[in-house]
Amino acid sequence: MTAMLEISHVTRRFEGLVAVDDVSFMLLRGEILGLIGPNGAGKSTLVSLISGTLAPSSGDILFEGRSIVRLPAYRRARLGIGRTFQIMRPFPGLSVLDNVAVGALFGRGGGQVQMSKAREQARAQLDFVGLAKNIDQRADELGGPGRKRLELAKALAMKPKVLLCDEVMAGLNQVEIEDVIEVIRKVRNEGVSVLVIEHVIKAIRSLSDRLLVLNHGVKIAEGDPGRVLSNQTVVEAYLGKRRA
Amino acid sequence: MLLLAAIAVLAAVPWFGSDVLIQFGINALLLAVLAQGWNVIGGYAGYASFGNSVFYGLGSYGVAIAMAQWQLPFGGGLLFGAALAAVFAVLIGIPVLRLRGHYFAIATLALAQVMAAIVSNVKLAGRNVGLVLPPLNNDPLFYELSLLLLVLATLTVYWLTRSRFGFGLIAIRENEEGAAVMGVNTTLYKTVAFAISGVFSALAGGIHAYWVTFIDPESAFDIGLNVKMIIMAVFGGPGTVFGPVVGALSLSALSELLSSEITSLAGLFFGVVVVVAVVVMPRGLADVLRRFRCMGWRYFAENIRSHQL
Repeated sequence: MTAMLEISHVTRRFEGLVAVDDVSFMLLRGEILGLIGPNGAGKSTLVSLISGTLAPSSGDILFEGRSIVRLPAYRRARLGIGRTFQIMRPFPGLSVLDNVAVGALFGRGGGQVQMSKAREQARAQLDFVGLAKNIDQRADELGGPGRKRLELAKALAMKPKVLLCDEVMAGLNQVEIEDVIEVIRKVRNEGVSVLVIEHVIKAIRSLSDRLLVLNHGVKIAEGDPGRVLSNQTVVEAYLGKRRA
Repeated sequence: MLLLAAIAVLAAVPWFGSDVLIQFGINALLLAVLAQGWNVIGGYAGYASFGNSVFYGLGSYGVAIAMAQWQLPFGGGLLFGAALAAVFAVLIGIPVLRLRGHYFAIATLALAQVMAAIVSNVKLAGRNVGLVLPPLNNDPLFYELSLLLLVLATLTVYWLTRSRFGFGLIAIRENEEGAAVMGVNTTLYKTVAFAISGVFSALAGGIHAYWVTFIDPESAFDIGLNVKMIIMAVFGGPGTVFGPVVGALSLSALSELLSSEITSLAGLFFGVVVVVAVVVMPRGLADVLRRFRCMGWRYFAENIRSHQL
Protein backbone atom coordinates (compact mmCIF):
# COMPACT_ATOMS: atom_id res chain seq x y z
CA MET A 1 0.00 0.00 0.00
CA THR A 2 1.18 3.50 -0.75
CA ALA A 3 1.34 6.35 1.69
CA MET A 4 -1.24 9.14 1.43
CA LEU A 5 0.44 11.15 4.13
CA GLU A 6 4.01 10.94 5.21
CA ILE A 7 5.00 12.78 8.36
CA SER A 8 8.76 13.03 8.50
CA HIS A 9 10.64 14.15 11.63
CA VAL A 10 8.09 16.82 12.46
CA THR A 11 8.73 19.00 15.51
CA ARG A 12 6.65 21.89 16.84
CA ARG A 13 7.74 24.07 19.72
CA PHE A 14 5.62 26.59 21.60
CA GLU A 15 8.02 28.90 23.40
CA GLY A 16 9.87 26.42 25.60
CA LEU A 17 7.41 23.55 25.26
CA VAL A 18 7.97 20.88 22.65
CA ALA A 19 4.40 19.85 21.74
CA VAL A 20 5.38 17.49 18.93
CA ASP A 21 8.88 16.06 19.10
CA ASP A 22 10.49 14.52 16.00
CA VAL A 23 7.44 12.47 15.02
CA SER A 24 7.43 10.34 11.86
CA PHE A 25 4.70 8.07 10.56
CA MET A 26 2.69 7.25 7.46
CA LEU A 27 -1.02 7.20 6.77
CA LEU A 28 -1.55 4.51 4.15
CA ARG A 29 -4.11 4.64 1.37
CA GLY A 30 -7.50 3.41 2.55
CA GLU A 31 -6.52 2.68 6.12
CA ILE A 32 -7.93 3.89 9.42
CA LEU A 33 -5.05 4.94 11.64
CA GLY A 34 -5.87 5.56 15.29
CA LEU A 35 -3.91 8.21 17.18
CA ILE A 36 -4.09 8.03 20.95
CA GLY A 37 -2.25 9.49 23.89
CA PRO A 38 -2.87 11.17 27.25
CA ASN A 39 -4.03 14.79 27.47
CA GLY A 40 -1.39 17.18 26.24
CA ALA A 41 0.39 14.50 24.22
CA GLY A 42 0.35 16.70 21.11
CA LYS A 43 -2.40 14.93 19.17
CA SER A 44 -4.40 18.02 18.20
CA THR A 45 -1.22 19.94 17.47
CA LEU A 46 -0.27 17.19 15.04
CA VAL A 47 -3.62 17.51 13.28
CA SER A 48 -3.14 21.29 13.03
CA LEU A 49 0.33 20.78 11.55
CA ILE A 50 -1.06 18.45 8.90
CA SER A 51 -4.06 20.65 8.05
CA GLY A 52 -1.90 23.76 7.91
CA THR A 53 -3.34 25.90 10.68
CA LEU A 54 0.04 25.60 12.42
CA ALA A 55 3.47 25.46 10.83
CA PRO A 56 6.00 22.92 12.12
CA SER A 57 9.26 24.22 13.61
CA SER A 58 11.05 21.59 11.57
CA GLY A 59 10.37 18.46 9.55
CA ASP A 60 8.44 17.72 6.39
CA ILE A 61 4.92 16.59 5.52
CA LEU A 62 4.22 14.83 2.23
CA PHE A 63 0.78 14.36 0.71
CA GLU A 64 0.67 11.81 -2.12
CA GLY A 65 4.43 12.15 -2.35
CA ARG A 66 4.49 15.96 -2.60
CA SER A 67 5.71 18.21 0.17
CA ILE A 68 2.84 20.35 1.43
CA VAL A 69 4.58 21.84 4.42
CA ARG A 70 4.87 25.27 2.81
CA LEU A 71 1.28 25.38 1.51
CA PRO A 72 -1.35 27.46 3.33
CA ALA A 73 -4.29 25.68 4.92
CA TYR A 74 -6.73 26.43 2.11
CA ARG A 75 -4.43 24.87 -0.53
CA ARG A 76 -4.12 21.71 1.54
CA ALA A 77 -7.90 21.62 1.87
CA ARG A 78 -8.26 21.84 -1.90
CA LEU A 79 -5.72 19.05 -2.39
CA GLY A 80 -7.96 16.83 -0.30
CA ILE A 81 -7.14 17.13 3.39
CA GLY A 82 -10.25 17.53 5.50
CA ARG A 83 -10.28 17.92 9.26
CA THR A 84 -12.69 18.25 12.14
CA PHE A 85 -12.00 20.33 15.24
CA GLN A 86 -11.95 18.92 18.74
CA ILE A 87 -13.38 22.18 20.03
CA MET A 88 -16.24 22.32 17.59
CA ARG A 89 -16.21 25.39 15.45
CA PRO A 90 -19.17 25.63 13.15
CA PHE A 91 -20.05 28.87 11.39
CA PRO A 92 -22.45 29.79 14.21
CA GLY A 93 -24.72 32.23 12.37
CA LEU A 94 -25.20 30.04 9.29
CA SER A 95 -27.72 27.28 8.86
CA VAL A 96 -26.56 23.70 9.27
CA LEU A 97 -27.02 23.26 5.52
CA ASP A 98 -24.88 26.27 4.63
CA ASN A 99 -22.19 25.20 7.09
CA VAL A 100 -21.75 22.04 5.06
CA ALA A 101 -22.21 23.83 1.74
CA VAL A 102 -19.02 25.81 2.44
CA GLY A 103 -17.14 22.51 2.20
CA ALA A 104 -18.76 21.55 -1.10
CA LEU A 105 -18.16 25.02 -2.48
CA PHE A 106 -14.51 25.41 -1.54
CA GLY A 107 -13.14 21.93 -0.88
CA ARG A 108 -11.57 19.50 -3.33
CA GLY A 109 -13.22 19.96 -6.71
CA GLY A 110 -14.76 23.16 -5.41
CA GLY A 111 -14.33 26.21 -7.58
CA GLN A 112 -16.57 24.94 -10.31
CA VAL A 113 -19.45 24.04 -8.03
CA GLN A 114 -22.53 26.24 -8.22
CA MET A 115 -24.25 27.49 -5.07
CA SER A 116 -27.37 25.36 -5.63
CA LYS A 117 -25.28 22.30 -6.45
CA ALA A 118 -23.22 22.84 -3.28
CA ARG A 119 -26.37 22.91 -1.16
CA GLU A 120 -27.58 19.75 -2.86
CA GLN A 121 -24.32 17.97 -2.02
CA ALA A 122 -24.50 19.35 1.52
CA ARG A 123 -27.96 17.89 1.92
CA ALA A 124 -26.73 14.46 0.87
CA GLN A 125 -23.83 14.69 3.29
CA LEU A 126 -26.10 15.68 6.20
CA ASP A 127 -28.31 12.76 5.36
CA PHE A 128 -25.25 10.53 5.51
CA VAL A 129 -24.26 11.63 9.03
CA GLY A 130 -27.85 11.64 10.26
CA LEU A 131 -28.54 15.36 10.53
CA ALA A 132 -31.11 15.51 7.73
CA LYS A 133 -33.85 16.88 9.93
CA ASN A 134 -31.72 19.75 11.26
CA ILE A 135 -30.71 21.38 7.99
CA ASP A 136 -32.60 24.63 8.54
CA GLN A 137 -31.44 25.16 12.11
CA ARG A 138 -28.72 27.63 12.92
CA ALA A 139 -25.49 25.79 13.66
CA ASP A 140 -25.18 27.29 17.15
CA GLU A 141 -28.60 25.90 18.05
CA LEU A 142 -27.33 22.34 17.69
CA GLY A 143 -26.42 20.40 20.81
CA GLY A 144 -23.04 18.76 21.42
CA PRO A 145 -23.68 15.46 19.60
CA GLY A 146 -25.27 17.33 16.70
CA ARG A 147 -22.22 19.55 16.39
CA LYS A 148 -19.93 16.53 16.30
CA ARG A 149 -21.91 15.18 13.37
CA LEU A 150 -21.88 18.60 11.76
CA GLU A 151 -18.08 18.74 12.03
CA LEU A 152 -17.91 15.41 10.22
CA ALA A 153 -20.38 16.48 7.53
CA LYS A 154 -18.46 19.71 6.91
CA ALA A 155 -15.19 17.85 6.43
CA LEU A 156 -16.80 15.15 4.27
CA ALA A 157 -18.46 17.73 2.01
CA MET A 158 -14.97 18.74 0.93
CA LYS A 159 -14.62 15.28 -0.67
CA PRO A 160 -11.32 14.74 1.12
CA LYS A 161 -8.82 12.03 0.25
CA VAL A 162 -7.55 12.19 3.80
CA LEU A 163 -9.84 12.82 6.75
CA LEU A 164 -8.43 13.92 10.09
CA CYS A 165 -10.95 13.33 12.89
CA ASP A 166 -10.07 15.14 16.11
CA GLU A 167 -12.10 13.48 18.89
CA VAL A 168 -15.39 13.21 17.05
CA MET A 169 -16.66 10.72 19.63
CA ALA A 170 -15.86 12.62 22.83
CA GLY A 171 -18.99 13.38 24.82
CA LEU A 172 -21.20 11.00 22.84
CA ASN A 173 -23.17 8.13 24.36
CA GLN A 174 -22.69 4.49 23.39
CA VAL A 175 -25.34 4.50 20.66
CA GLU A 176 -24.02 7.72 19.14
CA ILE A 177 -20.47 6.35 19.18
CA GLU A 178 -21.63 3.27 17.27
CA ASP A 179 -23.24 5.57 14.70
CA VAL A 180 -20.07 7.61 14.22
CA ILE A 181 -17.95 4.46 13.94
CA GLU A 182 -20.32 3.25 11.26
CA VAL A 183 -19.99 6.56 9.40
CA ILE A 184 -16.18 6.46 9.55
CA ARG A 185 -16.15 2.88 8.28
CA LYS A 186 -18.38 3.85 5.37
CA VAL A 187 -16.13 6.79 4.57
CA ARG A 188 -13.11 4.51 4.48
CA ASN A 189 -14.92 2.04 2.28
CA GLU A 190 -15.36 4.86 -0.20
CA GLY A 191 -11.58 5.08 -0.41
CA VAL A 192 -10.79 7.83 2.08
CA SER A 193 -7.80 7.40 4.37
CA VAL A 194 -8.69 8.34 7.93
CA LEU A 195 -6.65 9.48 10.91
CA VAL A 196 -8.75 9.17 14.06
CA ILE A 197 -7.79 10.83 17.31
CA GLU A 198 -9.73 9.39 20.18
CA HIS A 199 -9.88 9.02 23.92
CA VAL A 200 -12.44 6.23 23.85
CA ILE A 201 -10.00 3.30 23.76
CA LYS A 202 -12.64 0.64 23.19
CA ALA A 203 -14.01 2.44 20.16
CA ILE A 204 -10.66 3.07 18.58
CA ARG A 205 -9.45 -0.47 19.13
CA SER A 206 -12.21 -1.95 17.03
CA LEU A 207 -12.13 0.82 14.44
CA SER A 208 -8.42 1.20 13.69
CA ASP A 209 -6.31 -0.90 11.37
CA ARG A 210 -3.23 0.42 13.11
CA LEU A 211 -2.60 2.48 16.22
CA LEU A 212 -0.11 5.23 16.93
CA VAL A 213 0.61 6.42 20.47
CA LEU A 214 1.97 9.84 21.41
CA ASN A 215 3.17 10.83 24.88
CA HIS A 216 4.68 14.24 25.67
CA GLY A 217 4.94 14.86 21.94
CA VAL A 218 6.98 11.71 21.31
CA LYS A 219 5.84 8.66 19.37
CA ILE A 220 6.09 5.76 21.82
CA ALA A 221 4.37 2.97 19.89
CA GLU A 222 2.94 2.13 16.48
CA GLY A 223 1.32 -0.95 14.99
CA ASP A 224 -1.40 -3.53 15.50
CA PRO A 225 -4.01 -2.19 17.97
CA GLY A 226 -4.05 -5.26 20.22
CA ARG A 227 -0.30 -5.38 20.48
CA VAL A 228 0.11 -1.63 20.99
CA LEU A 229 -2.48 -1.49 23.76
CA SER A 230 -0.75 -4.24 25.71
CA ASN A 231 2.64 -2.57 25.25
CA GLN A 232 4.27 -1.82 28.60
CA THR A 233 5.31 1.77 27.76
CA VAL A 234 1.82 2.61 26.52
CA VAL A 235 0.15 1.26 29.64
CA GLU A 236 2.57 3.24 31.78
CA ALA A 237 1.89 6.43 29.84
CA TYR A 238 -1.82 6.06 30.43
CA LEU A 239 -1.96 4.69 33.97
CA GLY A 240 1.33 5.77 35.50
CA LYS A 241 4.23 3.51 36.38
CA ARG A 242 3.23 2.22 39.76
CA ARG A 243 -0.22 0.94 38.82
CA ALA A 244 1.10 -0.75 35.75
CA MET B 1 -41.10 46.36 -8.17
CA LEU B 2 -41.36 48.29 -4.91
CA LEU B 3 -37.63 48.76 -5.13
CA LEU B 4 -37.70 50.16 -8.67
CA ALA B 5 -40.45 52.54 -7.58
CA ALA B 6 -38.35 53.70 -4.62
CA ILE B 7 -35.36 54.31 -6.91
CA ALA B 8 -37.59 56.18 -9.39
CA VAL B 9 -38.95 58.42 -6.62
CA LEU B 10 -35.45 59.10 -5.34
CA ALA B 11 -34.25 59.82 -8.87
CA ALA B 12 -37.10 62.29 -9.41
CA VAL B 13 -36.26 64.38 -6.33
CA PRO B 14 -34.28 67.05 -8.27
CA TRP B 15 -37.38 67.81 -10.37
CA PHE B 16 -39.68 68.65 -7.50
CA GLY B 17 -37.43 69.07 -4.45
CA SER B 18 -36.02 72.31 -3.11
CA ASP B 19 -32.31 73.13 -3.29
CA VAL B 20 -31.99 72.34 0.41
CA LEU B 21 -33.57 68.93 -0.10
CA ILE B 22 -31.26 68.15 -3.01
CA GLN B 23 -28.20 69.14 -0.99
CA PHE B 24 -29.39 67.06 1.92
CA GLY B 25 -30.00 64.23 -0.55
CA ILE B 26 -26.46 64.34 -1.92
CA ASN B 27 -25.01 64.13 1.56
CA ALA B 28 -27.36 61.37 2.64
CA LEU B 29 -26.80 59.30 -0.52
CA LEU B 30 -23.03 59.61 -0.27
CA LEU B 31 -23.18 58.55 3.39
CA ALA B 32 -25.31 55.59 2.32
CA VAL B 33 -22.63 54.65 -0.23
CA LEU B 34 -20.02 54.84 2.54
CA ALA B 35 -22.13 52.71 4.87
CA GLN B 36 -22.73 50.20 2.08
CA GLY B 37 -19.02 50.14 1.25
CA TRP B 38 -18.17 49.54 4.90
CA ASN B 39 -20.76 46.77 4.88
CA VAL B 40 -18.59 44.71 2.51
CA ILE B 41 -15.59 44.55 4.84
CA GLY B 42 -17.32 45.16 8.18
CA GLY B 43 -20.69 43.51 7.67
CA TYR B 44 -19.82 40.57 5.43
CA ALA B 45 -16.17 39.78 6.17
CA GLY B 46 -16.57 40.84 9.81
CA TYR B 47 -13.58 43.16 9.90
CA ALA B 48 -14.58 46.42 11.60
CA SER B 49 -12.56 48.81 9.50
CA PHE B 50 -11.73 52.31 10.72
CA GLY B 51 -9.63 52.79 7.61
CA ASN B 52 -12.46 53.53 5.21
CA SER B 53 -12.14 57.28 5.78
CA VAL B 54 -8.65 56.93 4.29
CA PHE B 55 -10.17 55.50 1.12
CA TYR B 56 -12.66 58.36 1.14
CA GLY B 57 -9.79 60.86 1.46
CA LEU B 58 -7.78 59.16 -1.29
CA GLY B 59 -10.82 59.37 -3.57
CA SER B 60 -11.23 63.06 -2.76
CA TYR B 61 -7.57 63.77 -3.40
CA GLY B 62 -7.57 61.64 -6.53
CA VAL B 63 -10.25 63.86 -8.06
CA ALA B 64 -8.74 67.08 -6.68
CA ILE B 65 -5.22 66.36 -7.93
CA ALA B 66 -6.42 65.14 -11.32
CA MET B 67 -8.65 68.17 -11.89
CA ALA B 68 -6.80 71.00 -10.13
CA GLN B 69 -3.22 69.99 -10.90
CA TRP B 70 -3.43 67.97 -14.09
CA GLN B 71 -6.54 69.53 -15.68
CA LEU B 72 -8.04 66.11 -16.29
CA PRO B 73 -11.81 65.58 -16.62
CA PHE B 74 -13.86 64.53 -13.56
CA GLY B 75 -14.25 60.95 -14.78
CA GLY B 76 -10.48 60.55 -15.01
CA GLY B 77 -10.18 61.89 -11.47
CA LEU B 78 -12.69 59.37 -10.15
CA LEU B 79 -10.79 56.52 -11.80
CA PHE B 80 -7.51 57.82 -10.41
CA GLY B 81 -8.97 58.09 -6.90
CA ALA B 82 -10.52 54.62 -7.08
CA ALA B 83 -7.22 53.18 -8.31
CA LEU B 84 -5.35 54.86 -5.44
CA ALA B 85 -7.82 53.36 -2.97
CA ALA B 86 -7.57 49.88 -4.49
CA VAL B 87 -3.77 49.91 -4.44
CA PHE B 88 -3.77 51.24 -0.89
CA ALA B 89 -6.26 48.55 0.18
CA VAL B 90 -4.00 45.79 -1.13
CA LEU B 91 -0.77 47.27 0.26
CA ILE B 92 -2.14 48.02 3.70
CA GLY B 93 -4.63 45.14 3.74
CA ILE B 94 -2.05 42.38 3.47
CA PRO B 95 -0.40 43.31 6.78
CA VAL B 96 -3.36 44.64 8.79
CA LEU B 97 -5.90 42.01 7.72
CA ARG B 98 -3.79 39.49 9.62
CA LEU B 99 -5.00 41.16 12.79
CA ARG B 100 -8.38 40.21 14.13
CA GLY B 101 -11.10 41.84 16.18
CA HIS B 102 -10.07 44.86 18.21
CA TYR B 103 -6.52 44.72 16.95
CA PHE B 104 -7.62 45.22 13.37
CA ALA B 105 -9.87 48.12 14.39
CA ILE B 106 -7.04 49.82 16.30
CA ALA B 107 -4.53 49.34 13.51
CA THR B 108 -6.87 50.88 10.95
CA LEU B 109 -7.82 53.67 13.37
CA ALA B 110 -4.33 55.11 13.06
CA LEU B 111 -4.35 55.11 9.25
CA ALA B 112 -6.40 58.29 8.79
CA GLN B 113 -4.11 60.30 11.10
CA VAL B 114 -1.01 59.05 9.35
CA MET B 115 -2.47 59.71 5.92
CA ALA B 116 -3.48 63.28 6.84
CA ALA B 117 0.05 63.92 8.08
CA ILE B 118 1.58 62.52 4.90
CA VAL B 119 -0.71 64.44 2.56
CA SER B 120 0.00 67.68 4.46
CA ASN B 121 3.57 67.41 3.27
CA VAL B 122 2.96 66.55 -0.37
CA LYS B 123 3.27 69.53 -2.70
CA LEU B 124 1.15 67.93 -5.41
CA ALA B 125 -1.70 67.64 -2.88
CA GLY B 126 -1.44 71.28 -1.82
CA ARG B 127 0.23 70.49 1.51
CA ASN B 128 -1.88 71.48 4.52
CA VAL B 129 -3.64 74.28 2.63
CA GLY B 130 -5.63 71.91 0.45
CA LEU B 131 -6.78 72.14 -3.15
CA VAL B 132 -9.47 74.15 -4.90
CA LEU B 133 -11.33 72.39 -7.69
CA PRO B 134 -12.94 74.05 -10.71
CA PRO B 135 -16.53 74.76 -9.59
CA LEU B 136 -19.52 73.09 -11.21
CA ASN B 137 -22.84 74.50 -10.08
CA ASN B 138 -25.11 71.61 -10.91
CA ASP B 139 -26.55 69.99 -7.80
CA PRO B 140 -29.07 67.78 -9.66
CA LEU B 141 -26.14 66.18 -11.52
CA PHE B 142 -24.27 65.47 -8.28
CA TYR B 143 -27.46 64.11 -6.81
CA GLU B 144 -28.06 61.68 -9.67
CA LEU B 145 -24.41 60.62 -9.66
CA SER B 146 -24.61 59.86 -5.95
CA LEU B 147 -27.80 57.89 -6.44
CA LEU B 148 -26.24 55.94 -9.31
CA LEU B 149 -23.23 55.11 -7.13
CA LEU B 150 -25.49 53.94 -4.32
CA VAL B 151 -27.38 51.67 -6.71
CA LEU B 152 -24.06 50.25 -7.93
CA ALA B 153 -22.83 49.66 -4.38
CA THR B 154 -26.08 47.98 -3.41
CA LEU B 155 -26.05 45.77 -6.52
CA THR B 156 -22.52 44.74 -5.61
CA VAL B 157 -23.62 43.77 -2.11
CA TYR B 158 -26.61 41.93 -3.56
CA TRP B 159 -24.21 40.00 -5.78
CA LEU B 160 -22.22 39.13 -2.65
CA THR B 161 -25.24 37.42 -1.12
CA ARG B 162 -25.60 35.18 -4.17
CA SER B 163 -21.99 34.44 -5.00
CA ARG B 164 -19.26 32.08 -3.93
CA PHE B 165 -17.14 35.08 -3.01
CA GLY B 166 -19.75 36.50 -0.64
CA PHE B 167 -20.32 33.06 0.87
CA GLY B 168 -16.59 32.81 1.53
CA LEU B 169 -16.60 36.22 3.23
CA ILE B 170 -19.46 35.19 5.48
CA ALA B 171 -17.58 31.99 6.35
CA ILE B 172 -14.55 34.12 7.28
CA ARG B 173 -16.72 36.34 9.47
CA GLU B 174 -18.26 33.37 11.23
CA ASN B 175 -15.03 31.44 11.79
CA GLU B 176 -11.88 32.31 9.93
CA GLU B 177 -9.79 29.26 10.80
CA GLY B 178 -12.72 27.01 9.98
CA ALA B 179 -13.07 28.72 6.61
CA ALA B 180 -9.37 28.26 5.81
CA VAL B 181 -9.32 24.52 6.51
CA MET B 182 -12.37 24.15 4.28
CA GLY B 183 -10.56 25.67 1.33
CA VAL B 184 -11.37 29.39 1.51
CA ASN B 185 -8.40 31.52 0.44
CA THR B 186 -8.89 33.86 3.37
CA THR B 187 -6.07 36.31 2.61
CA LEU B 188 -7.23 36.85 -0.97
CA TYR B 189 -10.89 37.14 -0.03
CA LYS B 190 -10.30 39.63 2.77
CA THR B 191 -8.03 41.77 0.62
CA VAL B 192 -10.48 41.86 -2.27
CA ALA B 193 -13.31 42.73 0.12
CA PHE B 194 -11.19 45.53 1.57
CA ALA B 195 -10.47 46.82 -1.94
CA ILE B 196 -14.14 46.73 -3.00
CA SER B 197 -15.03 48.56 0.18
CA GLY B 198 -12.27 51.06 -0.53
CA VAL B 199 -13.26 51.71 -4.12
CA PHE B 200 -16.82 52.65 -3.18
CA SER B 201 -15.59 54.91 -0.38
CA ALA B 202 -13.17 56.55 -2.81
CA LEU B 203 -15.85 57.15 -5.44
CA ALA B 204 -18.07 58.76 -2.81
CA GLY B 205 -15.15 60.92 -1.69
CA GLY B 206 -14.43 61.93 -5.28
CA ILE B 207 -18.00 63.03 -5.96
CA HIS B 208 -18.06 64.92 -2.66
CA ALA B 209 -14.78 66.71 -3.44
CA TYR B 210 -15.98 67.94 -6.82
CA TRP B 211 -19.30 68.98 -5.29
CA VAL B 212 -17.83 71.08 -2.45
CA THR B 213 -14.93 72.24 -4.73
CA PHE B 214 -12.45 72.41 -1.88
CA ILE B 215 -10.59 69.82 0.19
CA ASP B 216 -7.92 69.87 2.86
CA PRO B 217 -6.29 67.03 4.80
CA GLU B 218 -8.41 67.61 7.91
CA SER B 219 -11.75 67.18 6.19
CA ALA B 220 -10.67 64.53 3.71
CA PHE B 221 -9.23 62.13 6.30
CA ASP B 222 -11.84 62.60 8.99
CA ILE B 223 -12.13 59.65 11.38
CA GLY B 224 -15.52 61.00 12.46
CA LEU B 225 -16.84 60.14 9.03
CA ASN B 226 -15.70 56.56 9.55
CA VAL B 227 -17.53 56.39 12.86
CA LYS B 228 -20.63 57.70 11.09
CA MET B 229 -20.58 55.03 8.41
CA ILE B 230 -20.18 52.30 11.01
CA ILE B 231 -23.05 53.66 13.11
CA MET B 232 -25.26 53.85 10.03
CA ALA B 233 -24.40 50.37 8.79
CA VAL B 234 -24.83 48.85 12.22
CA PHE B 235 -28.04 50.78 12.88
CA GLY B 236 -29.54 49.47 9.65
CA GLY B 237 -28.17 45.95 9.92
CA PRO B 238 -24.64 44.92 8.94
CA GLY B 239 -24.31 41.97 6.62
CA THR B 240 -27.65 42.67 4.92
CA VAL B 241 -28.29 44.15 1.47
CA PHE B 242 -30.50 47.09 2.39
CA GLY B 243 -29.74 47.58 6.08
CA PRO B 244 -26.88 50.08 5.65
CA VAL B 245 -28.85 52.08 3.07
CA VAL B 246 -31.93 52.31 5.28
CA GLY B 247 -29.74 53.07 8.29
CA ALA B 248 -27.85 55.84 6.51
CA LEU B 249 -30.93 57.51 5.02
CA SER B 250 -32.98 57.35 8.22
CA LEU B 251 -30.15 58.54 10.49
CA SER B 252 -29.26 61.34 8.06
CA ALA B 253 -32.87 62.49 8.06
CA LEU B 254 -33.06 62.26 11.83
CA SER B 255 -29.83 64.16 12.34
CA GLU B 256 -30.93 66.84 9.86
CA LEU B 257 -34.28 67.17 11.57
CA LEU B 258 -32.73 67.43 15.01
CA SER B 259 -30.14 69.99 14.01
CA SER B 260 -32.73 72.22 12.33
CA GLU B 261 -35.21 71.98 15.21
CA ILE B 262 -33.09 72.13 18.33
CA THR B 263 -29.65 73.02 16.94
CA SER B 264 -27.16 72.88 19.80
CA LEU B 265 -28.58 69.83 21.51
CA ALA B 266 -28.81 67.87 18.25
CA GLY B 267 -25.60 65.97 18.89
CA LEU B 268 -26.84 64.88 22.27
CA PHE B 269 -30.16 63.64 20.92
CA PHE B 270 -28.39 61.84 18.12
CA GLY B 271 -26.26 60.10 20.70
CA VAL B 272 -29.32 59.08 22.69
CA VAL B 273 -30.94 57.60 19.56
CA VAL B 274 -27.83 55.57 18.82
CA VAL B 275 -27.57 54.27 22.39
CA VAL B 276 -31.24 53.28 22.47
CA ALA B 277 -30.88 51.61 19.09
CA VAL B 278 -27.92 49.57 20.27
CA VAL B 279 -29.82 48.44 23.35
CA VAL B 280 -33.19 47.54 21.82
CA MET B 281 -32.10 46.42 18.36
CA PRO B 282 -28.49 45.27 18.50
CA ARG B 283 -28.68 43.51 15.14
CA GLY B 284 -30.03 46.51 13.27
CA LEU B 285 -33.26 47.56 11.59
CA ALA B 286 -33.08 44.73 9.09
CA ASP B 287 -33.30 42.18 11.90
CA VAL B 288 -36.20 44.09 13.51
CA LEU B 289 -38.16 43.97 10.25
CA ARG B 290 -37.50 40.26 9.90
CA ARG B 291 -38.29 39.19 13.44
CA PHE B 292 -40.84 41.76 14.65
CA ARG B 293 -43.58 40.16 12.61
CA CYS B 294 -43.41 36.86 14.43
CA MET B 295 -42.20 38.03 17.84
CA GLY B 296 -43.92 41.42 18.27
CA TRP B 297 -42.85 43.66 21.16
CA ARG B 298 -41.28 40.66 22.85
CA TYR B 299 -38.41 41.19 20.39
CA PHE B 300 -37.33 44.43 22.07
CA ALA B 301 -37.95 43.07 25.55
CA GLU B 302 -35.67 40.12 24.86
CA ASN B 303 -32.92 42.29 23.47
CA ILE B 304 -33.01 44.47 26.58
CA ARG B 305 -32.96 41.40 28.79
CA SER B 306 -30.00 39.89 26.94
CA HIS B 307 -27.93 42.97 27.80
CA GLN B 308 -28.47 42.24 31.50
CA LEU B 309 -28.71 45.97 32.25
